[in-house]
Amino acid sequence: MNPEAFLFWFLSIVTVSAGLAVVLLTNPIYAALSLAMTMVGVAAVFVTLNAYFLAGVQLIVYAGAVMVLFVMVLMLFDLKAEIQAFSRGNLSGFLKIGSVAMLGGLIIGAIVMSSNSLLGNNLPDLVVEADGSKQLGKLLFSKYLFGFEALGVLLMVVAVGAVALARSKGGTHAKH
Amino acid sequence: MLNTDIFTQIGLNHYLFLSAILFVIGMAGVLLRRNAIVLLMSIELMLNAVNISFVAFSKYSGKMEGQIMVFFVMTIAAAEAAVGLALAVTIFKRFREVNIRFFEHLKG
Repeated sequence: MNPEAFLFWFLSIVTVSAGLAVVLLTNPIYAALSLAMTMVGVAAVFVTLNAYFLAGVQLIVYAGAVMVLFVMVLMLFDLKAEIQAFSRGNLSGFLKIGSVAMLGGLIIGAIVMSSNSLLGNNLPDLVVEADGSKQLGKLLFSKYLFGFEALGVLLMVVAVGAVALARSKGGTHAKH
Repeated sequence: MLNTDIFTQIGLNHYLFLSAILFVIGMAGVLLRRNAIVLLMSIELMLNAVNISFVAFSKYSGKMEGQIMVFFVMTIAAAEAAVGLALAVTIFKRFREVNIRFFEHLKG
């Protein structure tokens, strides 16, 4: 087994089991920690795909900022393990799991059946992107500059909106 | 002799399968859990799964556009988490619990 394959299988097992833990653990704190583990695993998968800059951003933004946000809100709430973590009803539960399994089967079947035509029949030789970050930056600040600026405006709006929402007294049912 | 190429030759399909499995796990979380914060975490899981397939396509087709898209998706995901958590804080202040059941009382 070559190192590349070993790395892929190891990372995918870690990532998928951490993802399962997010869904199955009833204590939200443990779910948040498993989510952080998943994010680290995804960042490592990015490294194996030669996307080094994105791996760094993934670690900083997700495993750093977003997870801190989640964990802080969880600590604020002081949630114990929930009494009823999963939705009620055996029938609807089976329906939901069935629909999820059907979607998974559909996607995987589609991938298998189109595996010859996804990128054309001749896969290009793997492009070694030694300066991938440089290309990414050039593209981001030339061709996709408008999207980049729009994202900046969006983040500003979201920051103001989140503070306004969280500060409103008594939530949506404020007694005037 | 069993053919072990599928285990030793890692290609685009393997990454797509990993992405599909993670996406399906996230979707199961959104459908099955009742805690609004765990719901948001499951949504993050789904977004990450999509990111993996974007980056995999970007590598195997030799184009950088996929990575640009991942960049945008990450920013949108961070914004979505911030707004969702602010909503969860608002719900918690009112009902002392963040069950998704209470989100139906959100009207005016």
